[in-house]
Amino acid sequence: MTPLSRRLTTIIVLIVAAVAGAFLFESFLSIGSPSPFAHTRQGYLLGWIGLGIILLVFVYPIRKRIGRNRRWPRGWFQIHLVAGVVGPLLIFLHSGAHVHAMVPLLALAAMVVVVLSGIVGQGVHYLALRTLNDRRRQFHEEGLGSEEIDLRLHRMAAQEEAFRMWQSIHAPMTLMFLVFTAMHVIGALYFGGL
Amino acid sequence: MPYLPLPRTIVPVVAMATLVLVALLGWGSFRDPETLWAPGDLSRYHADVARCASCHEPFRGPSSVKCIGCHSETKFAERSKTAVGTFHREVITQQKTCLACHTEHRGALAQITASAMFNPHGEFIFRATGTSSCSACHQFGTRFGARPTLLDNDTIHRLLEKGHGEHHLGRMADCLKCHTAGQYEAGKGDHERE
Repeated sequence: MTPLSRRLTTIIVLIVAAVAGAFLFESFLSIGSPSPFAHTRQGYLLGWIGLGIILLVFVYPIRKRIGRNRRWPRGWFQIHLVAGVVGPLLIFLHSGAHVHAMVPLLALAAMVVVVLSGIVGQGVHYLALRTLNDRRRQFHEEGLGSEEIDLRLHRMAAQEEAFRMWQSIHAPMTLMFLVFTAMHVIGALYFGGL
Repeated sequence: MPYLPLPRTIVPVVAMATLVLVALLGWGSFRDPETLWAPGDLSRYHADVARCASCHEPFRGPSSVKCIGCHSETKFAERSKTAVGTFHREVITQQKTCLACHTEHRGALAQITASAMFNPHGEFIFRATGTSSCSACHQFGTRFGARPTLLDNDTIHRLLEKGHGEHHLGRMADCLKCHTAGQYEAGKGDHERE
């Protein structure tokens, strides 16, 4: 197993365990209650908290794009990573494993795509890109020609290319997530009351 | 480590897909709003007769006024058992919320009355106390599924005295354990036959 596939497997296992854990905990909280936890006052409150934490992730891209002379906002990037995992986990706890309506389902699906692409980008693609560049530098130092290096790194470059897909998904899909989340929140307030 | 810039076509493609989905959801909201917005299927009692606006007021949520529009005092007087009718006519007069005991969107086969609200004593209790409504002895809260509390009134005091110590809390619900078919069975309690 290559380091890349080991990293990918670890991430998949952790994600499945975290989501299953959130669903199981929601089921546990629903025991003895006439309504599922997700439909209780506490469940709604958790949705608001999850959304609040998720909104923190947007500080990083905003800071990154505004004021180009400033340094890369490392602190906000770390908050982006943590809030991008904790917030969605609270949303899984808020939703439980019994989604019915299409609008929150679409918001949840868009959230999953954004979070998964972000995790793959940070956890897998970054490793692939770093390994590829390290190996390329190593071959250069050994005196190999560019064509020879490209030939030797063909498989690794193809992998890096494949995982680069996260970049095309992560930021653009945020738009879809925000639109459906806004619709879900407005719908919940419209039908459930302010 | 720098990543390549996003392909220019990605954002417009996602924006267009979002727009198309929002348009479809808007259209679907008129045709089949329950599938798009409801947290669960309506019960068999309401599925064929109620629309969203039958029970929900915009940004105010499900409203008791809307419930009473169909479940009026007259309907309870004409169609319900005496105890049920009396109780609900009291609830309507006192302008209590229907949501303290009733819920919806839990599926076609689900019970929409909180389990704590079924009469554990049986109809026998009304004969024994001379009352005709659950609220003669119980205070019902406003939170869905909350257990009713026992009032401190003459009816309760008389019932406790009648039991000579056998009618204590935790045992009151078991009327028919000792009073089989309305008759006291010797040996199952120490108090005299009433």
